[in-house]
Amino acid sequence: MGKDIREDIAWAQINKDVLASVQSPRKLYWVILFIALAVFGVGIGCEVMNYRIGLGVSNMDNPHVWGLYIATFIFWIGMSHSGTLLSAILHLMHADWRKPIYRFAEAMTTFSLMTAGLFVAVHLGRLWQIYYALPYPNERWTWPNFQSPLLWDAMAIFTYLSSSVIFLYIGSIPDLAICRDNIQAGWRKKLYSILSLGWEGTDRQWRNFRITYMTVACFLIPLAVSVHSIVASDFAMSQQPGWHVTSFPPYFVAGALYSGCAAIITLFVILRYVFKFEEYMTLPILRKTVRLTFAIAMVWTYLNCIEFASAWYGHSQADKAVLIQKATGPYAPFWWSMIFCGSVVPFAMMVKKWQVNIPIMFAVSLLLNLGMWLERWMIVSPTFAHGYYPWSWDHDQWPSLVQWGIVFGSFGWFTLLFMVFCKIIPSVSMYEVKEMVYHRTLAKKKEELGLEGGH
Amino acid sequence: MSVSNLLENWSKYRHTHPLDDGGHADWNAYPSPIKWAMSIDLDACTGCNACSVACYAENNLPVVGKDKYAHGQAMHWMRIERYWGEPEKAIDEFDSAMNFQLVAQNFDVDQGAQFLPMLCQQCEAAPCETVCPVGATNHTEDGLNSQIYNRCIGSRYCSANCPYKVRYFNWYSYPDQEHAWPEPLNQQLNPDLTVRTKGVMEKCTFCKQRTYTARNDAKTEGREIRDEDVQTACQQACPTGAISFGNLFNPESTVAKQWSAQQVDLVKEKQDKDGTPDNKLRGYRILEELRPFPSIMYLERVRESAV
Amino acid sequence: MSENGFNRRDFLKTLGWGGTAVALSGCGNTSIEDGAEFVTSYSEPADYVIPSIGVYYNSTCAQCDAGCNITGRVREGRVIKLEGNAASAINHGKTCGLGQAGVQAHYNPDRVTQPKLNGQTVTWEQALAAISEKLAGASGAEVAFLTGGVSGHVRALLDNYLAALGSREHFVYEAVSPAVERAVNTKMYGTAMPRYRIDKARAVVSFGADFLGAWVSPVNFSQQYAKFRKGNRPEGRGVLVQIEPKMTLTGANADRWIAIRPGTEGILALGLINALGAAGVAVPGDAAAAAKDYTTERVSAETGVSADQIGRLATLLKERTPSLVLAGSAAEGYANGSQNAEAIALLNRALGNVGATIETSASTPFPQLAPRVGNRAALTALNDGLAAGKYKVVFTCGTNPVYSAPASLKFADNYAKAGFKVALAQYLDETAQAADLVLPLDSAMEAWATSVPEYMGGEGNYTQLSVTQPLMERLYADTRSTGDILLALLKQRSPDEYSGFEDFYAYLRSALLANKTALGGAGEADDDVFWNVTLSQAIIPLQGVVSKSAPQSAAPALSAPAAADASYPLRLIPSVSASIRDGRHANEPWLQESPDPLTTIVWDSWVEIHPKKAAELGIVEGDIVDVTSKSGTIQTQAYIFPGIHPDAVSMPLGYGHTAMGRYAKGTGANVYSILDAVYDKDTGELALNETSVKISKTDKRVIIVKEEGPAGGSQVNRAKIAVKVSADKVDLSKEV
Repeated sequence: MGKDIREDIAWAQINKDVLASVQSPRKLYWVILFIALAVFGVGIGCEVMNYRIGLGVSNMDNPHVWGLYIATFIFWIGMSHSGTLLSAILHLMHADWRKPIYRFAEAMTTFSLMTAGLFVAVHLGRLWQIYYALPYPNERWTWPNFQSPLLWDAMAIFTYLSSSVIFLYIGSIPDLAICRDNIQAGWRKKLYSILSLGWEGTDRQWRNFRITYMTVACFLIPLAVSVHSIVASDFAMSQQPGWHVTSFPPYFVAGALYSGCAAIITLFVILRYVFKFEEYMTLPILRKTVRLTFAIAMVWTYLNCIEFASAWYGHSQADKAVLIQKATGPYAPFWWSMIFCGSVVPFAMMVKKWQVNIPIMFAVSLLLNLGMWLERWMIVSPTFAHGYYPWSWDHDQWPSLVQWGIVFGSFGWFTLLFMVFCKIIPSVSMYEVKEMVYHRTLAKKKEELGLEGGH
Repeated sequence: MSVSNLLENWSKYRHTHPLDDGGHADWNAYPSPIKWAMSIDLDACTGCNACSVACYAENNLPVVGKDKYAHGQAMHWMRIERYWGEPEKAIDEFDSAMNFQLVAQNFDVDQGAQFLPMLCQQCEAAPCETVCPVGATNHTEDGLNSQIYNRCIGSRYCSANCPYKVRYFNWYSYPDQEHAWPEPLNQQLNPDLTVRTKGVMEKCTFCKQRTYTARNDAKTEGREIRDEDVQTACQQACPTGAISFGNLFNPESTVAKQWSAQQVDLVKEKQDKDGTPDNKLRGYRILEELRPFPSIMYLERVRESAV
Repeated sequence: MSENGFNRRDFLKTLGWGGTAVALSGCGNTSIEDGAEFVTSYSEPADYVIPSIGVYYNSTCAQCDAGCNITGRVREGRVIKLEGNAASAINHGKTCGLGQAGVQAHYNPDRVTQPKLNGQTVTWEQALAAISEKLAGASGAEVAFLTGGVSGHVRALLDNYLAALGSREHFVYEAVSPAVERAVNTKMYGTAMPRYRIDKARAVVSFGADFLGAWVSPVNFSQQYAKFRKGNRPEGRGVLVQIEPKMTLTGANADRWIAIRPGTEGILALGLINALGAAGVAVPGDAAAAAKDYTTERVSAETGVSADQIGRLATLLKERTPSLVLAGSAAEGYANGSQNAEAIALLNRALGNVGATIETSASTPFPQLAPRVGNRAALTALNDGLAAGKYKVVFTCGTNPVYSAPASLKFADNYAKAGFKVALAQYLDETAQAADLVLPLDSAMEAWATSVPEYMGGEGNYTQLSVTQPLMERLYADTRSTGDILLALLKQRSPDEYSGFEDFYAYLRSALLANKTALGGAGEADDDVFWNVTLSQAIIPLQGVVSKSAPQSAAPALSAPAAADASYPLRLIPSVSASIRDGRHANEPWLQESPDPLTTIVWDSWVEIHPKKAAELGIVEGDIVDVTSKSGTIQTQAYIFPGIHPDAVSMPLGYGHTAMGRYAKGTGANVYSILDAVYDKDTGELALNETSVKISKTDKRVIIVKEEGPAGGSQVNRAKIAVKVSADKVDLSKEV
């Protein structure tokens, strides 16, 4: 296995390479930005229909009261988990290889949460009354219902979003300062001056920075686990067949990490290609990410089997019928695609040669994410189609173009946010890469001196 | 407004078990406690749909038209389900193979069909109540699941968690839909209750506008609610009188007598008579085993098998 | 004062008017400037309005001919809900879904609001003048009046009008009528519409009489049925067996539903008489003689009902007395329909049910008010006259023959031959559309009328006169009740006699007051008190006249049902839904959206096909099929339905209107248009079930819009959803 990073990269070279990525967008950038905007516009248009005409235009019905909005909501929430995994958990575990890739992963966390949040709003029948769900003191003396998992959900997401924004921002401060120092005068310089909060890189600043960063990281980890457990509670706390499963929280967390890691691979490949980050986003790092993803894929597969087993061997006919319906009913093509993408495709990541084969891994990561999106859909819809009460089964419901349009638009929104991010905040953490290079150099020197240890 | 108020009064709005909080404080405000309940005799029910149409008339239910009905967006608070007899063999094959055609080929029609009026079961420990993020559906002091349209934000979690699927969402703004109440059909609307806007959930209220009036009248006159004080619209229409409705806590009410004669206890998820070999009673509640403690008792349909 | 000549007083005036206009514009189309409306404050409401409190007025339901007594809830001058009148001997405070929808007939957005002459809106004066002009050139025999069933004072006025015209051409036509039943009952029981006592019977065997759905007086029968099913009744719980080729709502509620080969009901009835005789029941001689050839083996072979089943039926009837055997349209709608019904009536006689569960009813003491009931034969007669160009003026009222006549009659073409066609119509239905002059009718919630129901509940010689009174003011100023129109026409003819009555209300009041003593107001000196009591009850109980003719000891000579035509192998059984009926209620949206109880289909028609037959034809649910008879083809969706004889298919009547407003027009297919013109040999009634069809698949398929989900009426072994229990497994004696 090769080295995660060359130890002989000059720090100035790092600055130069990374700063190149935030400067002077190429024409293609604007084209993609415009396309993302257009895609997002489609979503906005669909939402306007939803809002003005009523949610009926989504083709949801009784009993299919939830549909792709909730499924895609879970998908984006899940996506957000990898950022925390890489930046916080692996940070605490001193995994150095995370350093070149955690920044964009962290950004992905924030933006996918922001995308997920939109679905909460889109899903509501009366969006204009969304503030009823907020627990704030008011003259009506009314509180939201603290028993409702949906309320926990709202709180967890809000906390997670604000924490991850803070985490992303704090972690970027030293880099923002670098930007400030290396950029020509102009509005960007002013922006960086403000954002970098007067960072000068003094010892005191570094010490405070480390402590703060570590604290937020520690704070974020339980939050990340809880947020998806709570999303799982939306289902597990309900009484419906196929949802009322105790293993749902870990299953959801695993699924979240899984889709997040897959998305990291996707973005890894894209950024590496677009910004020519071959020096930093190296193949050995890709290999490590792929291995991590594979491990999570197996955990997810295992938990999936547990879920099936508990339905199959449980005494609830209704649970069993939902499972049978998933595999043989109208959702079967999607369900089997999910199994294929989620549990079969990852075995491609076992092939050593493929682990560093960028086109293959890119395709695999896309398939994994498709599988994970299908998984969320297959959690939500089949239960509605085939619930406790046979009379109200509905196997014919199919999401309307409005629903698909909003799902489609959300990808535009995410891309839009990510593109803007790339040009404002360096998508590779310069100071941590330097640290990594330093660690490498140190280790090499130690090796040369015949000393033990080192990273 | 205080957090202490919130914590102290919480149990008033939520039940996990009908006996949890030892009765309902607010009921003391009335001459005596009220628990509205219903019993539906499936032997008398002929499936004629009169109750359902009466419900449309009483409760301002919109006609959604063919397209929206096709999308499963009908608004019938009271729906009549029609079941066929099923030979045992077909059931097993059906359940494992989901072979609907096979079952349809083998329906047993020798004893006709079977009808079931399905409406909100007004559960005592209602799955819908706990999950609403804004508390728009609550337990009232007379034992109903109330739906507060003003408060509802349309998350539809209540419907998602309802095992009976008897909650109906306003997918559109029906007053604006050209087919629902074109002039002058809108003049028929009952002013005692609202026309719901788009984006809110609605369901059977046990004709709240009627029970409320009856309750107030009884209170004014300082007496118990009697059976003749109030009928729900479905009960009043039902040509065979299959539906009884009244205060379950009043032992004189027909409903209370029926429930006790059938040995169906509101607070049990499994009735003592169930599974006893000499059980010759026909009262039961649907999906009782899920512990929602529904307030509607059904009486089994009786058929002579020897003819 | 001011330079622009706009002083303070003017300013305030303008402000005041402007403010009023704004305030009023929020209240619908009221405009104070037009002077069209008076604005009344609710601080001084009219006597009959208590703001926010519902007031109740009694009246009579006009949705079907059962004539249930109803109570309308009126809020702020608008009728909003109908309930049954608890004092009624017909419906005892109950209603059916059709009755509930009465308010939608009243508030229907597609009502005719003004008289229309050749499509042009005219005033009533012009309309009446046009009629007068056309009548001037016509002799009495050249004027025809086509109505649905009429009774009460409207009938009396109509008779008077026809007499004034010198016309005897009153045709009473009902698209779906129990005409065969009336004729056979008169022949076999001595009374056209006896009182059926389901509540006294221990067993009911019904040959296709859908008494819980659309037969004669369903709300009355439903209540009797509820008593019949009570386990703690002295007679014990009753047993219902329904024998019919297509399952009706009543069949769906039977203990045993038997699919019989269409048209062989009479054979089975005679077979049962034979079997009962063999089992030791003392069968009267004429019946025994009629049935002697109908051995169980033969009957079983001809009807398709198993010998074992016939034996069990005979046992049931033998053991459970009194029983009641009913014959409905499924048994009567054949060329040999009367014979079938007679055989069934003979079974009742053999069982000794006549007098026990079939009681002689009383007719109203005022023969001029008695119901004049309709049939198909009247339409045929009118049609012949029209075809011959006999009529210069034709009035139609309360019936829609252009829609409901079988296409083979070519009624629409013949109707066009009439010189001047006047339609009294609430909606612009097919017949009104073809008319020259359309006179807008009041709804049943705006009109004055009286009626005498043909089928009367209650006991002994009880009968009643039901009063229809307005539950609210007219929605449209220019509509008139049938009575008002007849009175106005009579004023043209005999002004001396009728000019004293300002309107039909005045006529009705004076007519009823004139008979105060006979109407039970003997003890009441004050006319106003009597009148107010009458209106508040809207039911005038009367001692009826029992007139029973001697039943004939006719032993029916059963002719064999027509053999199946190889090119049209399936028998079409048109079904009458409890809500849409013959099609006159297709424009009430609640009824369109109320699922058909058995198929749960809404907003469309369908054809029911037995699963085995469907498999044979390669048809699956939702296939659009051509239903072709000798008389025509219609297209509809196929519904696979287990409750039908494999050799029969069924379609609901009442759909497929080409007019009658937004809800009815274009919804479904019109079965009348493919019915063959075959008539019952004895009564001339259209044999509804005598049409044979073939079904052919088209290449189209739809998802049927229905309430039933993919489980298709299966409970998927989920315990205790809709539970059925065998009667021997329950103890009903202690039930409340």
